[in-house]
Amino acid sequence: MPKSAAEPQNPNADVAALSYEQARDELVQVVARLEAGSAPLEDSLALWERGEALAARCQQWLDGARERLAAVREPVDE
Amino acid sequence: MVLAGLVSMQDATTSDGTGPTTGGRLPLPVKAGDTTAERPWPVRHLAPKIADYIARMPPVWVEGQILNFKRWNNLWFLTLRDTDLDMSLSVTAPLGAIGKVADQVQDGSHIVIHARPQFHAKKGTLSFSADDVRLVGLGELLARIEHLKGVLGQEGLFDERRKKPLPFLPGVIGLVVAQQGDAEHDVVSNARARWAAAQFQIRRVTVQGPRAVPEVGAAIAELDADPRVDVIVVARGGGSFEDLLPFSNETLVRAAAACRTPLVSAIGHHLDSPLLDLVADFRASTPTDAAKRIVPDVTEERARLVQARSRSRAAIRARIEREQAGLDAIRSRPALATPTTLVDQLEQRLHVLRDTARRSLDAALRHGHAEIVGLAAQVRALSPAATLDRGYAVVQGPDGHVVRDPVDVGAGDRLRIRVAAGELAADVTT
Repeated sequence: MPKSAAEPQNPNADVAALSYEQARDELVQVVARLEAGSAPLEDSLALWERGEALAARCQQWLDGARERLAAVREPVDE
Repeated sequence: MVLAGLVSMQDATTSDGTGPTTGGRLPLPVKAGDTTAERPWPVRHLAPKIADYIARMPPVWVEGQILNFKRWNNLWFLTLRDTDLDMSLSVTAPLGAIGKVADQVQDGSHIVIHARPQFHAKKGTLSFSADDVRLVGLGELLARIEHLKGVLGQEGLFDERRKKPLPFLPGVIGLVVAQQGDAEHDVVSNARARWAAAQFQIRRVTVQGPRAVPEVGAAIAELDADPRVDVIVVARGGGSFEDLLPFSNETLVRAAAACRTPLVSAIGHHLDSPLLDLVADFRASTPTDAAKRIVPDVTEERARLVQARSRSRAAIRARIEREQAGLDAIRSRPALATPTTLVDQLEQRLHVLRDTARRSLDAALRHGHAEIVGLAAQVRALSPAATLDRGYAVVQGPDGHVVRDPVDVGAGDRLRIRVAAGELAADVTT
C-alpha cells in the first residue's frame, strides 16, 4: 500500500540528532509543562511522548560515554 | 733570457738601477705604474720604495690584545691581535717603552701602544715599533662595557620580547665549552641524569684570551645553522674579570643576539654579569643550573602524567554519574513515570463535573416539586368550597361580580347563586 500524504510523520524524529545537553534541557522543559497541567489533553499526550523520546536519547548518550571510557582503559603503570 | 738575467746580475753590484745606463741596459721605469713584465723593477729597487712609502705614515695609537710576547736582549717582541677578529700585527718595543707594564701583562692583556710602522727591506716584513705601551686598565674596560651595554640596550637587544622560550624536550642540545674544566661534565651529566636520552653536539673552544671571541662566535653560528639543534648552551666555569671579558665583547654578544636558536648563557661569575647573560634567551648561574633548565626531569614528568590521566578519568566518570542521577530523577517524576495520572486527573474532573451537574439538577427538581406542592396547598386553601359547605352561598350579579351590597343589583336582575351542591338562578324582586 503506497504511503499516503495523510499518514502522520513521526514528530520526534529530530530527537535523534540532538546533542546530550540539547536533549536534557528540552526534557526538563517538557516535564515542567506537563506538571503545570495547563495544556489541552491532545497536547499533553504529545508532550509526554516527546519526553519519553528525549529521555531515551539522553540515556543513549550516557551509555555511549561509558563505553568510550571503557574502551580507552589502559594499564596506568607502563 | 738566461743571458739577459746574467747580465743584470752582473751589473747589480755596480749600478743602482736609475739614471743613465752603462752597458746597454734600459733605464728603469720611474713609477710603479710604468712597470711591465718586460721592464720590471728588481726587488732591491722596490723594497726601499716601500720602506719610504711606509715611513711617511704617521705614528698611531692602536689597541689590541697581547699574544706571544717574549724578550730578547733589550727588545720585547709581541703580536698585537684585534680583540674581535683574527687579525694581528707584529710589534717590537724597547724595554724603556714597556717599563713597569712588563710585569703586569700576560697573554690576552688589553694594551694600547703608540707605534710607527717599519718596513724591513731585507725580509719584506712589516712591524710596528712602539715607544709607549700602556695597559688598558680595568676601569677603562669596565667603562667600555657599560657604554656598550647602554648602546645594545637602546637597540633593544636585551628586550624580554626578543627572548625565545626554551624547548621543552630538545632534540639535540648544542654545547659550547672549554677543552678542559668541569663545565662540559657538569652540563652533560646533569642533563642525562634528568633525561637519559639527551643528545649533545659539543664544540670545545677557547673560552678566554684573544682567541675566545672568534672561536665561541664560530661555534655558536655553526650550532645555530644545524637544524637538529634545538637549544644552545654556552658554558664556562668562573674566572677573573679579564677571563670573562670575551663574553662582554661586542662581536660575540651581537653574534649571540643574532642566533635564532634559543641560547642559554651559563657563565659562572661573581659580581657583574657579562653582557652575554643579558642577550641570552635564558641565563643560568652555573653549568649545572643550565642542565636543569634545558631538559625536564623525566621521572617527575611521568608521575605528573599518570596523575593527570587518573584525575581526568575520575572527573569524566563523576560527570557521567552526575548526569545519570539527574536523568533518573527526571524520569521518575510522575509526569513521565506514571503518565496515566494525566488521564486519571482529567477523568476525575469529569466525574466531579458530572456529579455536580446531576446534583444541581436534582436540587432544582426537588425545589420545583416543593414549590408546586406549596402552591397547590395555597390554591386549595384559597378555594371557597369549605365556606360553601358551611351553608353559605355565593351570589353573583349579571356581570359576574360577587354581590355584597343589595344596592349593587336592581329589581329584576338575574342572579347566579352558588351553593355547596350546585347552583341556581334567581331574579331580584326587591
